[in-house]
Amino acid sequence: MPDITMRVNGATRTASPEARKTLADFLRDDLDLTGTHVGCEHGVCGACTVIVDARAVRSCLMLAVQAAGSEVTTIEGLAPDGGLGTLQQAMWDSHSFQCGFCTPGMVMQATAFLADHPDAGEQEIREALSGNICRCTGYQSIVDGVLLAAERNRER
Amino acid sequence: MKLPPFDYEAPQTVSEAVELLAEHGDEASVLAGGQSLIPLLALRLARPAVLIDINGLDELSGVSSDDGWLTIGAMTREYVAEESERVAEAVPLLAAALPFIGHEAIRSRGTVGGSLAHADPAGELPAVARALDAEFVVRGPSGTRVIPAEEWFEGFLTTSRQPDELLEQVRFPTAGPGTGVSFQEVARRHGDFAIVGLAASMTLSDGVIGEARLALAGFSDVPVRATAAEALLAGERPSTGLFDEAARLVTDDADPPADLQGSSEYRKTVAAALVRRGLRAAAENALRGNH
Amino acid sequence: MTAIAAERYTGASIKRSEDPRILTGTGRYVDDIKLPGMLHAAFVRSPLPHARVISVDASAARALPGVVAVLTGADLEAMTVPGPDPLLSLMGWKGPSPEFTLLATDKVRLVGDPVAIVVAESRYLAEDGCELVEVEYDDLPPVVTAAFALDPDSPPLFANLGDNVARPHSRTEFGDVAGTFADADRTYDFHIDVHRHQNVPMEGRACIASFDADAGVMTVYAATQSVHLSRAVFAMRLGVEPGQVRVLAGDIGGSFGLKIGASREELAVGAASRHLGRPVKWVEDRGENLTVSGQAREESFDVRAAVSNDGDLLGLDVAMVVDTGSYPGMGVTVPDIMQGMLPGPYKLAAMGFESTAAITNKAPYVAYRGPWASETFVRERVLDLIARELGLDPVEIRLRNFAPRTDPPAMMITGRPLVGVTSKESLERIAQLVDFPAFRRRQAQALEQGRYLGIGVATFIEAAPGPRSPGGPSGPMGLESMRLRLGEDGFVVLFTGQMPHGQSHQTTLAQIAADEFGVPFDQVRVVVGDTDVVPFGLTGGSRSATMTGGVALHGARQLKAKVLDFAAHLMEASAQDLLITDGNVWVRGDPASAIAVSEIAARAASGQFGAEVDANLEVQATFDGGEGGWSGGTHCAIVEVDAETGLVKVERYVAAEDCGTLINPAVVEGQIRGGVAQGIGAVLLERSAYGEDGVFQSATFMDYLMPTTCDVPRIEIEHLETVPLDADVNFRGVGEGGMIVAPPTVVNAIEDALSPFGVRIYEQHLPPARILELMAAFSGRGARAGDGEGV
Repeated sequence: MPDITMRVNGATRTASPEARKTLADFLRDDLDLTGTHVGCEHGVCGACTVIVDARAVRSCLMLAVQAAGSEVTTIEGLAPDGGLGTLQQAMWDSHSFQCGFCTPGMVMQATAFLADHPDAGEQEIREALSGNICRCTGYQSIVDGVLLAAERNRER
Repeated sequence: MKLPPFDYEAPQTVSEAVELLAEHGDEASVLAGGQSLIPLLALRLARPAVLIDINGLDELSGVSSDDGWLTIGAMTREYVAEESERVAEAVPLLAAALPFIGHEAIRSRGTVGGSLAHADPAGELPAVARALDAEFVVRGPSGTRVIPAEEWFEGFLTTSRQPDELLEQVRFPTAGPGTGVSFQEVARRHGDFAIVGLAASMTLSDGVIGEARLALAGFSDVPVRATAAEALLAGERPSTGLFDEAARLVTDDADPPADLQGSSEYRKTVAAALVRRGLRAAAENALRGNH
Repeated sequence: MTAIAAERYTGASIKRSEDPRILTGTGRYVDDIKLPGMLHAAFVRSPLPHARVISVDASAARALPGVVAVLTGADLEAMTVPGPDPLLSLMGWKGPSPEFTLLATDKVRLVGDPVAIVVAESRYLAEDGCELVEVEYDDLPPVVTAAFALDPDSPPLFANLGDNVARPHSRTEFGDVAGTFADADRTYDFHIDVHRHQNVPMEGRACIASFDADAGVMTVYAATQSVHLSRAVFAMRLGVEPGQVRVLAGDIGGSFGLKIGASREELAVGAASRHLGRPVKWVEDRGENLTVSGQAREESFDVRAAVSNDGDLLGLDVAMVVDTGSYPGMGVTVPDIMQGMLPGPYKLAAMGFESTAAITNKAPYVAYRGPWASETFVRERVLDLIARELGLDPVEIRLRNFAPRTDPPAMMITGRPLVGVTSKESLERIAQLVDFPAFRRRQAQALEQGRYLGIGVATFIEAAPGPRSPGGPSGPMGLESMRLRLGEDGFVVLFTGQMPHGQSHQTTLAQIAADEFGVPFDQVRVVVGDTDVVPFGLTGGSRSATMTGGVALHGARQLKAKVLDFAAHLMEASAQDLLITDGNVWVRGDPASAIAVSEIAARAASGQFGAEVDANLEVQATFDGGEGGWSGGTHCAIVEVDAETGLVKVERYVAAEDCGTLINPAVVEGQIRGGVAQGIGAVLLERSAYGEDGVFQSATFMDYLMPTTCDVPRIEIEHLETVPLDADVNFRGVGEGGMIVAPPTVVNAIEDALSPFGVRIYEQHLPPARILELMAAFSGRGARAGDGEGV
């Protein structure tokens, strides 16, 4: 396969992944960005969610080569220089997570959603996250984290 | 669940894509949004020798209207169609159905054409296309042809697209005045495939139903057009009794599939409920003049 | 020495120290680890539920570029120490012992049974290789139900057993069963089924085995609930001393009972690594996780209840059959726990319990969050069924039957003391939080509009860890160890065998130690996940709050005493005049004397003290649970059933719980909510489905349906004031209760919603189609609301 180039978390990355390699595996294996998790490999659990060209996508349902020329943001690219973004901080404050495996996908999906729907209420947030499966929390703490982040964003 | 090996092609023009399809025929699969195909590849249920990635064909994206039709390029992302005011205005039934497709992340990549070419009988868009008599414009080596929805859906995951043809556009007739629509589905969870879904559209004029369109998802191996119920409804005034009768017509002789989600009888019960609810909602929308 | 002066951390929802890495994607799960020269494994798996393996031809697979090795079941037996299931051996199981091999050798016994391991440069290539392995099978008739398994005509899965009985029938009686039933006003017979469902952690099973031939040490990076138990199993099977195996675990993506010991595949990976002299990684995919990792809860019960006309539950006689699947594991021990727990917090004059466990061509039975949960389901269902028969209110029948809290405590008929149980208070609290009369009015109004609302309650107790013997935790589970050290840098370091996989131990244990010792929360570090460094431990059974919280408290106290003895030398004061607060040691009444703990630690590490001064600031603490005690509570659900589609919505869910002193309320609430979500999932969505032909039907997330944000409502939680039993340690576990009591809570509510149809529910899985079937089945003979039923 010829080289492809994409921007990942603001940095230009060039590589030549096999065509059949998913974006999820490419991020994890080739770019050492293991924050994106693989939970099902058939596009249902949402753990692999990243942001490509400003849209939340399931990275297990994209071939790496399809991201050529795109802007990709993963969980590692959210926080400014090792700090925490507003959503991450709000989720920390809300005890949103337990085992952490669903977390990156949940955070990326919520990030994309809040960017487009900054004033979303609880029901909308629940619907927006209904494609991200968490086995530990029963979701309430996650929803609370997103609501808190939205509120803090509005206060700024 | 890693994808099996395949040869990968990324044509830059529709002609190139069609040439590749002509060359490889049914050894090739077309990769559009990938939201249905990639899971099949991951499960190694699909084994194409060649994958033709048409995401580079910008000419296949876009929404335009002309002469009573809304034309949607096959590669138009579902979220784009969902956000399109033109779609909402011209084909309200499509706008009503789009949010039911999976979740936002699926609609980020999934395409209108891809969903219709995949032709899952439980899918939302096939039911809408069938209800509205949409038209499918395909390009093959010998040129373009237009296939009406009635002929497009041939069987389970099977369309009348030939292996050397590429779906270029889907055209939907523009909704006329007095149209009210409803898309309803019963699914196990928010965002799941419909166990049964209903695409319903009706026109009301002076309180009388002009034309009704009903198509069901999940009721057979293709979307099912409920023509007997449509005939019953035409010219009548909306009423609970009328809608009950329509529901009976839809389900009485039906033999929907049984699977893990429910028996054939269950699907009939649910379909009847959806017909009653969908017709009521479509009628209300028509009355309110807000589609 | 009594309670510390300022309880700053214990009881507060301190933010988790785990979260900065979790939230930034810098956690380290097994699949995140890359070792030089690492290879990847995939398994060739049987498409058939029951068959003889005639031949395995791996030649084409071995020839595939990138494939490094293919090992068959026979190869692996030759390179390991054959023997029975290691986990059953370690548990001391004395019953039937089915032949056990790492991979299938002469027979496959479930769809997905591993037949060969393919090791390659990547997982992609390993899967390609798997497709090239040709296996010839000779089909055998599948055994898909426990009933058929127990039929002597069923083909035995294990030749050495000769039948499909994993645990032979046994019966125990408590009290005068025959007399109680003979004298009772009424007896009822029910048959209740609980369906097969499973753990489904978001991270499946995974390990990397790395054999260092020079050192003769196998290092395993594991996802496990106990690094020591994993080590024991690896060592046993690989035929080495435990000291030659090191198990490391970092972040783990959930387990819920699945990841205990080491599975057959993980052991195969270990053997392959040793054989090849290179690290080998295996991460199961979702298909493997759903199909073969293990399933639970497939249990059926014949229940007889002896009842007075006034609603006293006098006796229960229960016959249970558990379907332990193909390689029966802890399923064979579950009946014992169930028997012990079945009476719950209720008075019973007599109880009979018998059980049998059957072997079938389905996934092996594994522990799943509250493995004995069906005892609560059966009992709480039976109470509602009896209430309905007698026209009693479900709250009323429970209040009537609770054992009162007395001193000395009432005894469960099965022998455990009901010390400190607050079931009555929890139910009364529910009745305060949920206005039942108002609900009944709303329910009646809704019914007039053709809407079906229902309310249900259920009460449970959970041995977390449970009171002192008899029946209390014993053996390695009865004693918790911890090493505590004041490190050179001034950090209080806790070395624990707990292996958190979502339980937040790195936070909660630090809270306790910080309070007890006197340093800020951030000056405590919790070390887990390395057999070279931590004592034995297992995270499971909801015991860590008491056992590990307790050993942290007492250990911190002991460490503090030791540190103060040392500081006394430095500060020329008497140890009993010294205090530690906020990370400083100071002489009582003289704040200017304060010296930082870190300074004390540095001095101790400086090596300048002779033998007369103990400068080794470390203690080994143990804790036996103190007075132990029960956790428990009552949950309440309000549901609406759509009578046209059978869809159920849980409109409101309230939990009144008693888990003793809360270490971290947010952590407690997270555990409860997660468990309740799994319970809702079990009732409305989740089923591990097999066809009559033994083929597994729920191998993807499109078929095995997990609860989502739109399926789990806000769960209101009320914490009860507890009855303290111990002078110091009144933390009790809470991990499993939600999953134990949520299913009967929701099913009770659904039955209430469907009472206009006269529905009676004797099962746990109620998908929409089933709801409509029940309505149709009972409608003909049902009673209507207000027909003297009183519910």
